[in-house]
Formats: sequence, C-alpha cells, structure tokens
Amino acid sequence: MIERTNYKEQQTPYFEVLSEDQKERIFNGMMRTLQYTGANVHHEKARELFKKAGCKVDGVRVYFPPEVTLNALSTVPPVTEVFPWNGNRSKKIIIEKKRSYFGPGPTPPNFIDTDTLERRKYLRKDANIVARVCDALPNMGYVQSLGSISDVTNGLADVYEFADMVRNTTTPIMSWSFTREGCHDIHRMGIAMAGGEEEFKQRPNYIFYGEPISPLVSDFHAIDKCMYCAEHRIPQVYSPCAIGGGTVPATHAGQIVVALSESMVGVIAAQLMSPGTCVIIGGVQSILDMRYSVYSYGAPELSLLSAAMTEMVHYCNLPMYSTAGCTDTKKMDIQSAMEASLSINAAMMSGANFVHDCGYTESGLTGDVFQTVMDDEIIGMARIIEKGVEVNEKTLAVDVIDNVGPGGHYLYEDHTMDHFRDHWMPTLMDRNSYEEWDKLGRKTMKERIIDKTRDLIENYEGPRSKVSEKADSEIEKILQEAERRIKSEG
Amino acid sequence: MDLSRISETLISGKADELKKMVEEAVNDDVNPSDILNQGLLPGMDAVGQKWKAGDMFMPEVLRCAKAMSSAMDYLRPKLKDDDIGNAGTMVIGTVAGDLHDIGKDLVAMMFEGAGYKVINLGIDQSNENFINAVKEHKPKLLGMSALLTTTMPRMGEVINSLKEAGIRDQVTVIIGGAPVTDDFAKEIGADLYGPNAGTAVGIAREYFQKK
Repeated sequence: MIERTNYKEQQTPYFEVLSEDQKERIFNGMMRTLQYTGANVHHEKARELFKKAGCKVDGVRVYFPPEVTLNALSTVPPVTEVFPWNGNRSKKIIIEKKRSYFGPGPTPPNFIDTDTLERRKYLRKDANIVARVCDALPNMGYVQSLGSISDVTNGLADVYEFADMVRNTTTPIMSWSFTREGCHDIHRMGIAMAGGEEEFKQRPNYIFYGEPISPLVSDFHAIDKCMYCAEHRIPQVYSPCAIGGGTVPATHAGQIVVALSESMVGVIAAQLMSPGTCVIIGGVQSILDMRYSVYSYGAPELSLLSAAMTEMVHYCNLPMYSTAGCTDTKKMDIQSAMEASLSINAAMMSGANFVHDCGYTESGLTGDVFQTVMDDEIIGMARIIEKGVEVNEKTLAVDVIDNVGPGGHYLYEDHTMDHFRDHWMPTLMDRNSYEEWDKLGRKTMKERIIDKTRDLIENYEGPRSKVSEKADSEIEKILQEAERRIKSEG
Repeated sequence: MDLSRISETLISGKADELKKMVEEAVNDDVNPSDILNQGLLPGMDAVGQKWKAGDMFMPEVLRCAKAMSSAMDYLRPKLKDDDIGNAGTMVIGTVAGDLHDIGKDLVAMMFEGAGYKVINLGIDQSNENFINAVKEHKPKLLGMSALLTTTMPRMGEVINSLKEAGIRDQVTVIIGGAPVTDDFAKEIGADLYGPNAGTAVGIAREYFQKK
C-alpha cells in the first residue's frame, strides 16, 4: 500500500556552499584557465599525447581547448569499486558521488612515538602500527601511512611502506611513490595480493596517490606515474596542495579555479591513455597563514574550501579527495580536537568521497596515530548527523505513544528494543557519573585515547597471518629486487 | 536439571520461558535455594557484568530484571527466610512533592533483579507513608529518590522521622536522584548513595558484605 502520495522526503541533511550558477561560473573559470593560460607539463610523451588530442603545445606549456577537457570528462567512470584483498565485502570501497570514506594521509617526515609521545623521524615500524590500528578502527575506510619511512634504503620508503602495510590491513591502501619504478614495484605487490594481473584489473585492491604542483605545473614524475596508473587501470588520486594566497589566489573562487585546472591535466592525460580509468581529484585546500607563514591544516577556510571544492569536483562528475581531521597543534590538546571536529563534520556534510589527513598534526609535518584514533570517534558522531531523521509510521510511533500514555516510560517497549541501538555509542567520550568517573581514575580524553591506541597496538593482531605464503614470498622478492634497482641506479 | 540453563534464559530476557523453567525445576524437586543461587543469581550477575562492559544496554537489562522479578514472585514463598541469596525486602518511593518515577522504578527493578522483594510506594509519598511502610514491612533497605532540588530536603526529613519513631537503626537508607550527591547523602544522615540504577545494587551488596 502506498503510504503517501506527492510526498517529498529528505534522507540526509542538506548542505551546499555553491549555487548551480556559481558552480557553472567557477567551471567556466577553469575552462578559461586551461584554454588561455594552460599548464606546464614536464614530460615529453605526455605533451605528445596532448598535442595529438588537439592541444596547443609551446615548449613545456600546454593549452587545453574546451573540447579536449570536455571529452576527457565524458569518459570518466560514474562509479569504481576497490576491493579488500581478503574479499571482506564490508570493507569494499564504492567510489561514487556522496559516499564518504575517511582515512589518514601520506608522507609527513615526523611521527609521534607511541611509547614516548615525543616527535621523532618516521620509522618502518610506524607503518605497521598505522596499518593495524586503522584496520581495527571502524570509521577508517581506507589507509595511508601518516609518514615517510626514514630507516630503509634511501629511495625505497614508498615500496617498504606498501609491503608492510598491505600485509597488516585489509582496508584498501592509498599508496604513493617517488617514481614510476616505485609505482611498478607497488603494483606488482598489489597484483601478488590480488592473485594475478587479470584478478587485479577485475578487482583492484589499492588506490594510488600523486600530486601536481600549484600553480599549474605537472612535473615529470607526477605525470609519469599518472600515466602508469592509467595504463594499468589503477584508481588514482591526482590532486594538489593549493596554498591560498601563496601558490593560488587568496580568494576562494580563484583558488578552486587553479586547483581544478591543474588537477584536470591529470584527468585528461589519464583519460587519453585509458578512457574510463578512475581519477580522483581535490587535494588539500587551505590558506597560507600570513603571520607565521604556515600552510594551515586547522583553518576554518580549509573546511569551507574543501566543501566548495567537493561540489565543483562532483559538478565535473569526478570523485573528490578532501581533507579533515587534521590540526596545526604540536601535541594532542583541545585545539586538535576543535579543529578536527569542525573539519570532519564539514567534510562529512559535503559528501566528499575520500577524506584524508585524519592524524595529521603540526600543519601536516607530523603524523600522529593518536589523533587518528580520536578522529575515528568524531567521524562516528558526524555519521549520525549525516544519517538524518527517518520519518515513517514506524518511526513516528504514534501507536507506541498511545500505548505508554502520559507519565509512563518507554524502556520496556519492544519499539525501544528495536531502535535504541540506532543511537550512537561512544567508545571514548565520557558519559559516566561523577562517582564512576572518579573511581575509574579521573581519566581525561587524552588519557583514554592513549589507552585505546596502545591497547590496539599491543593486542590487535590484524590480518598478517592470513597473507598467503605465495603472496608473502613474492612481496619479499619484490623488495630484494627493489634494493638491487636502487643500487644500480647509484 | 542443569541450572545454568536457567541463567542463560534469564540473560536472554525471556520472562515466560524463565518462569516455566523455574516451575519445572520446582516440580522436579530441585531445592528452591539451588534454583536461586545456582540459576537465577549467577544469571543476574552475568547481566550486571555485561552491562558494565557495554555488552548489554538498559532496555535489555530491564527485561532481564523483569524476568527475574516474575520468577522470584513464584519462587520466594518456597524459600526459607535464612536462605543465602534471599536478599530481603526493600521499600522504595519518591518523596513528597516530586512526581518523577522512571529513575526510581529502574532502581526498584534492579533490586528485584538482585533477589529483593521490593515494595514500590510510588511517587509523591509523604513522610508518614515512608514511616508506616517501614513499620509494616520491616525492610532491610529504604530507598528514596528526588529529582528536584526543591524536594531533596524531604529525604532528610524522612530520616529524622525514622529517628523520632525509634526505628532508624532497623533499616539501611539508600538515596538517589539526578541532583543528589554523596556529600548530600552524608549531610542528611543516609547510609548509602546510589549514583544510578546500574550501580545502586552493587553499592548495597558491598555495604552488607562489609557489615
């Protein structure tokens, strides 16, 4: 039976920064920039590819006429799936509009030591920790390492990181590399985990992350890796870290025009190489703090810019790589929680596909897995707001209200039993009575975060023992070959 | 009969099934004291632990308490007065001028779940009603609750009336309610303070064990 007719329903809260007219205007700003200003592409083969497609090339500068850009946007896939290597469907990623997955970020040089809580260089063992902790956290939808390994052969931090992480989490990884060769090593490991090249093409198990340089520059390695991923159908991110007032205009609209334009170079290259391959754009969109000359990861502008950028990227029918859960503080404190809460909620409301940097502190210079654990709790809360209010006969509960009447209570009702579990259950937030809180040692949020994180590090096993012997030895072999490669490169 | 099945049925909160099982056990000549001490009470203990650990939640715990309570209604007349686990009687009510009953009812249910026979006086109870109930039922515990700061002092008045009637020593007084604190309980001369329905039973049990 139809319950209602001509009835409008809103499943989730509605949040929008830009109107359709504004989006069109920003889009046209990007088209004007690509056509008349163009971008520098430091890669001869890529320039040849663009020239063949109808671009004007002058030295390293490439000008993209509208039909080239529009053609590229016409072949981007509406949806792409990424599969956990063990086949766990609950961890599958569906890359399509308005589905949000949160995760850490790539490559800060420093890490907060999980024993001493002091900042130091990022070590190989940290990649293992981040992978396992993120594997255990319910709200981390994909994984990045939160650092760049300092204690392996120079030039192999990327390869070791992937080798260690992929065997310690089934949550899909977003990897990075220095060069095409590193990209290739990582890809071979992805194939080893998938069980073969065809299996990988059918069910890709990781995403690759690369970035152009603002403003409007694609360096050799960035576009080289982009083309490698396109050729091998590896879902990839091609997104800049645009610094408002520094590398892009101080005005938000201008920042988005430049960020979109430089990202579009990767989209066009990838679609020309392999139409239909998945390219995700977006990146870090924030401002240069003109007092301290710091690229702020806690600025409210980051949230606003990221939400507006998400709308523009979705306007182009592309998936968005957004930013949240990060902070400018040096040590876990009230500021880190304030900044992370605001940005996570804004990113969640915007509907960005991937939201990275959960666990970035010190303005992106230090990875902190304690921050990631705190962010996991904030994401849980934000998801409740995002879910919205369900309105139907069952949720209206008018019959139940009639049954209980004035002055009663609902704790015995079957209706309550059926629905109370929809309420969010905190894992870190304190809702104890004063006495219970006192008895439990008067722990602050910081102490509870440290306890939970250390408990996961010590006791959460992760999937390491489930990696097949074949994949395991293949990965070890790839690492040995990578060592020989670096030696021969000198 | 395997009495752990009674515990399991209690934990699952199925009141009808539990009552049937207890009846069967009695008909099979199982000692009522064993049914209580090896079946029902271990079940309620497990519920309490699961609640504390966050594996069970209030609506589920209340179902278990309700199941326990109806099983106890059947079993209590068959128990001897000095049976260990036959926890005793509790009189509970909300003080005069206060119409709040949910919190107090939860506490009552939890005590019933712990094996107490609970006399729930209801809301807006005069000092006199409390005194008469204590005289009549001779409870081990008197529970009082207030949600309003304006009605809180009534609890102290009831305690004074108990003293005047010469029966203060016969009963242990436990108080609670959102604005009530441990300090307030001490101030008015109550024996125990239960910060919430979940912990009140444990606090009383600990107190009687020490005593």
